[in-house]
Amino acid sequence: MANLLYIFFTMVLVQNYVLVKFLGICPFLGVSKKLDSAVGMSLAVIFVMVLATAVTWPLYALVLEPNGLGYLQTIVFIIVIAVLVQFIEIVLHKYMVSLYNSLGVYLPLITTNCCVLGVTILNFTNGYNYVESLFCAAGSGAGFMLAMVLFSGVRKRVDAGNPPECFKGLPITLVAAAITSLSFMGFGGIMSSIFGIAA
Amino acid sequence: MAKSKLSIVTNGLIKENPVLRLVLGTCPTLAVSTAVSNALGMGAAATFVLICSNIVISALRKVIPDKVHLPCYITIIAGFVTLVQMIVQAYAPALNAALGVYLPLIVVNCIILGRAEMFACKNTVVDSALDGLGMGIGFTLALTAMATLREIIGNGSWLGITIVPESIDRLTIMTSAPGGFFCFGFLMAMVVLYETKTNNKIERKIGCAVKEGEDE
Amino acid sequence: MSIAFAIILVTIVGILGAVILVLAAKYMHVEEDPRVAEITACLPGANCGGCGYAGCADYAKAVVESGAPVNKCAVGGAACAAQIAAVMGVEAGASVKTWAVVACQGEEGVCKSKFEYQGMSSCAAAAQLFGGPSACAFGCIGLGDCVKACQFGAIEVVNGKARVNADKCVGCGACKAACPKKIIWMHSEPKKPVVMCANHELGAKVIKECTAGCIACHLCEKNCPEEAIKVVGNVARIDYAKCTGCGTCIEKCPKKVIKMPADIH
Repeated sequence: MANLLYIFFTMVLVQNYVLVKFLGICPFLGVSKKLDSAVGMSLAVIFVMVLATAVTWPLYALVLEPNGLGYLQTIVFIIVIAVLVQFIEIVLHKYMVSLYNSLGVYLPLITTNCCVLGVTILNFTNGYNYVESLFCAAGSGAGFMLAMVLFSGVRKRVDAGNPPECFKGLPITLVAAAITSLSFMGFGGIMSSIFGIAA
Repeated sequence: MAKSKLSIVTNGLIKENPVLRLVLGTCPTLAVSTAVSNALGMGAAATFVLICSNIVISALRKVIPDKVHLPCYITIIAGFVTLVQMIVQAYAPALNAALGVYLPLIVVNCIILGRAEMFACKNTVVDSALDGLGMGIGFTLALTAMATLREIIGNGSWLGITIVPESIDRLTIMTSAPGGFFCFGFLMAMVVLYETKTNNKIERKIGCAVKEGEDE
Repeated sequence: MSIAFAIILVTIVGILGAVILVLAAKYMHVEEDPRVAEITACLPGANCGGCGYAGCADYAKAVVESGAPVNKCAVGGAACAAQIAAVMGVEAGASVKTWAVVACQGEEGVCKSKFEYQGMSSCAAAAQLFGGPSACAFGCIGLGDCVKACQFGAIEVVNGKARVNADKCVGCGACKAACPKKIIWMHSEPKKPVVMCANHELGAKVIKECTAGCIACHLCEKNCPEEAIKVVGNVARIDYAKCTGCGTCIEKCPKKVIKMPADIH
């Protein structure tokens, strides 16, 4: 259990997907201007990440790898993710309308989002088993949410400021992201110390 | 559109540079630009995939039905990315180790999908190939510019050759995550400054992942 | 052999995915009234929220499913209401134009300053510091939070105070929500006056701060033939249910605080 929690919190803080691994930058910069859209997008991402891991892990570990077809990872994963996202959208629209209204619009954006494909591939690079992979995916999504929500607050302050003319708009947002990322560097080593697991 | 073939190529270099003007493909730009060798390798791989997928998508543009065009494009691109992955794994294992997960992530690189939707599905095979070449070179140029900055300041070297004397301390933060963001922001600000001076300023919105009617 | 297996596997995955999606689209299809899409197409698509719903698509849905009135879109106006009425097969009622009014006349030179503010360019931020840099703590701060909120470019800061362009204003209320002083009011009667001040302090204090503030002299209250205007909490307030727009209060006001909408600015 401690191992699972270690993985979860490492993904949220130490190996934050957006601020440390640079996955999912496009929605991070694009959708984080308003808080409610940031939260909506993050919830959709968590949802898709966990479900995608749940489907792709058995597919790779039980079908592709044993048959020496590891090189099909990219193609099969991306097809599965594209189908899964479309399927989730249809299911939500039918059975969970309130959820669809709040996060349904973000689902198509997630298909081509680096972070979902990234987490499914990284599960195998890190050598996690099924349960560990699920916790890793949940942690990655939670880390994405943390970064989005924090950054939407930072952006509000930055937008009210008065940077030099050439920095207005996207450049100053990127510099603000640099400082936010810097703050996350402070978490390095915390998880190993708390859980007593060597990094 | 009577565009000269050369103008299609040069379009992607400066005028519509995918990273600095269209703001596409930000993830690999930030992640891979820690060293110039990585940047060149990633740029080459992305250019290859871009050209090949543009050619195939353009050749099949009349055949692919509109409703399923997105999964079709993604599958085609994924095929070429797998090809590139295998080539890099076989012939450049050092690059493979350096690029890590970003090599397969070329399949969701907004540049490739974006150009497929914007250009390849509406233009001839030759034009699309040239556009792919131009965009790929533009991407590589932007990536190399950033990598040059980051590697020289953060590691005192360029392409592995030590340039800054050992006695001067390296600012290693530049090669890590915050340095990437900062460098990108700074580079973009310089481009905006240049644009303002030449009266060429454009309104930048993040290329992908912005839904209709949503603020940037 | 393994190549054939690979091709077969990817084909199976692709076909399986396609089958799942086609079945899902068929059996989990949500019936949506086609009129919702038609009405959404009639609407301007600005998603300003002025109709009171969360965007154009939401309003269209409310019209079809909950019978919302067809004339709520201020941006689309009467033309849009007529189109929606045609789709729904009903009569369009008259649209009531609402627009925003910034109830403050304390521009530079009229209202004094408490201090020179050099902080964040945001009214919300400036308001945290002793109520803002203006001598009058109830007035417009003029740093433009409302300007940033307006999607239609109908409000701008002139001479240090916000001004609404009534022609461009669609009455969505975004500026009203953005103002930290709550000094922007929605007005819908072009022939009835507006009190352009919200200062609750005693007249003697107001005179020291601003030359265009309401001093609660009660002259308007005493002279109103309909008893529609009363001084409440040291500032005049109009009861629009009683007001007939005669303009007596405008003549009698010594500070020229009350104005007809056409005369504002």
